[in-house]
Amino acid sequence: MKASLMTHMVAGYPDYETSLETARALAAGGASYLEIQFPFSDPSADGPAIQAACTEALAAGFRVEDGWRLVETIRKECPAVPVFLMSYASIVVTKGVEGFAARARQAGVSGLIIPDLAPGADEGLYEAGKKHGLAVVPVIVPSVPSGRLEAILALKPEWVYTAIRAGITGTHTTLTPELKAFLANLNARTKVLAGFGIDSAQQVRDLRDSAHTVVVGSALVRIVAEAFQKGGKALVGREVEAKVRELVG
Amino acid sequence: MPVKPVYNDFFGPFGGRYVAEVLRAPLDELEAAFKSAMADPAFLDELALVQKEYIGRPTPMLHARNASKILGGAQIYVKLEGLANTGAHKINNAVGQILLARRMGKKRIIAETGAGQHGVATAAVCAKFGFPCTVYMGEVDIARQRPNVYLMELYGAQVVSVKSGSRTLKDAVNEALRDWAGSFADTHYLLGSALGPSPFPDMVREFQAVIGREVVEQTRGLDVAAMIACVGGGSNSIGFFEPFIDAKTPRLIGVEAGGRGPGLGENAVRMGGDARPGVVQGYKSYFLLDDDGQVQDTHSVSAGLDYAGIGPQLAYLGQTGRVEFASALDTEVIDAVKFFARNEGVVFALESAHAGAVAIKLAPTLPKDKALVINMSGRGDKDIFISAKIITPEPWIGFLRREVETYDAGKK
Repeated sequence: MKASLMTHMVAGYPDYETSLETARALAAGGASYLEIQFPFSDPSADGPAIQAACTEALAAGFRVEDGWRLVETIRKECPAVPVFLMSYASIVVTKGVEGFAARARQAGVSGLIIPDLAPGADEGLYEAGKKHGLAVVPVIVPSVPSGRLEAILALKPEWVYTAIRAGITGTHTTLTPELKAFLANLNARTKVLAGFGIDSAQQVRDLRDSAHTVVVGSALVRIVAEAFQKGGKALVGREVEAKVRELVG
Repeated sequence: MPVKPVYNDFFGPFGGRYVAEVLRAPLDELEAAFKSAMADPAFLDELALVQKEYIGRPTPMLHARNASKILGGAQIYVKLEGLANTGAHKINNAVGQILLARRMGKKRIIAETGAGQHGVATAAVCAKFGFPCTVYMGEVDIARQRPNVYLMELYGAQVVSVKSGSRTLKDAVNEALRDWAGSFADTHYLLGSALGPSPFPDMVREFQAVIGREVVEQTRGLDVAAMIACVGGGSNSIGFFEPFIDAKTPRLIGVEAGGRGPGLGENAVRMGGDARPGVVQGYKSYFLLDDDGQVQDTHSVSAGLDYAGIGPQLAYLGQTGRVEFASALDTEVIDAVKFFARNEGVVFALESAHAGAVAIKLAPTLPKDKALVINMSGRGDKDIFISAKIITPEPWIGFLRREVETYDAGKK
């Protein structure tokens, strides 16, 4: 059986057209879900690769409107692949939480991942998600105190994103038996997205039985960066698709 | 008298703790440790001792008689906070937090810095109390604030150049948050301004409130009409204002960086400027954002006021009207530096000179029997590479050139 894979990408990076090509390649390679990040000027939960991509996308003129256009386009072309939108509080709050959720639903987004709007400090995001039929995905860490975890699960989230290493995205993570047990327990209660530091097919294989879906982020963003430099948009498409095939197994 | 809480979390609609889940536990731990320390007489006694013998508290209150006479209105008093060890008020908070970090059993300190004053203060207390110290500083700030980098390294700190984003203070904060997300078990993040996720705004205010408490003592018998302080993130002003916030008088005036004038990117005016409410770097306040919520670049001649957000308590006090906000242009600030240097023998830091510039305008409108208190949060020695090339460009550039030539000749 192939692994269920969620692939991360940055909208507008390195430019709009190449990011659309990236989305197509991720879907063609076999991603089960696309996680599309709307770049923010200060992405403090992201590591160097994603952060640099966000800065470049903004320098290239990315606007939130472009993000909606990208999501709508890829949803039309690949309707079988659900899209999750990742961004930061500033973008959501500035646009208005309720309006942002409504617009996301309209664009065909299945879920929102906003790490700095955690349950209880979410500015009404979880309510808005419910109202508009949009999954709001809490991001947790394995070190989360059990009382806090129960409070989050009491919201009955369809998905829970587990950042399996303390710290930021993009450095290789070692998978311990304790970690796998934590994920498996959680996965019995909700659909677990497990990511942070996953960059090889071996890791994906290791994790696939403990989580509903494995998330690969920085590793793919680095491939976009390298391929774009070497061969532009066309090479990005080929290399991204090949990497996803390899990861899915 | 009811005891004021040391911890509020929210100030009206502002403040809070908008962080990724990973930072929730360390902030909970910090909140608990802060509350317990502030209720422990032994902690407060040691803090008072270090304030006295290391910082040099109380800092003096200068009656600026010449300036008052020239301006012909209210009597101007200057709280000489810049005479504190390391040259600015930043040391007050650094000392408080280092004692707290030691009490919490932390083994390592990280900090962000913009202009470098907070980095210098943190590096100094880390040297004194024996902590390894990493200071994150934007690449742009490192290039323009070399003297402070030199001092931090002299104190033994490692200064890490931050090359992401706009490569300034906000990016240094992001980098420190990233470090902390992976290191909090043994590391304390010694944040320098009265902002960020709770409990930082409350904690920084409490450690800076020593300024205001001294002002209360030092102005007994005076009829104080107004108190004026510059506002970047807001650490000096909130500490200076703290004992007066719940009273109706005196007027409390915060001065923001007017920079080169109006227009997004030309200044750092958050209150009454182009700022809007938002959630950035873990707290809700007013920020300079575009209509997508992207943080905008700011400009000020003073690196310490060059930041897109304002502390949440000040945002709230601005909204309620208890704190009035004004701004001073770069050119007015340079004039204020010159005015107080020539007439009082005191060189203000560029940040603090924003307060001086507003005092120069306000004093003549007030009667002579009223007092006006300025917080000189820092002294201007640190600014010499910026102010000298504005005030006396040719001799200064000539000096720098000769220094380099002498150095190069020596190498041959």
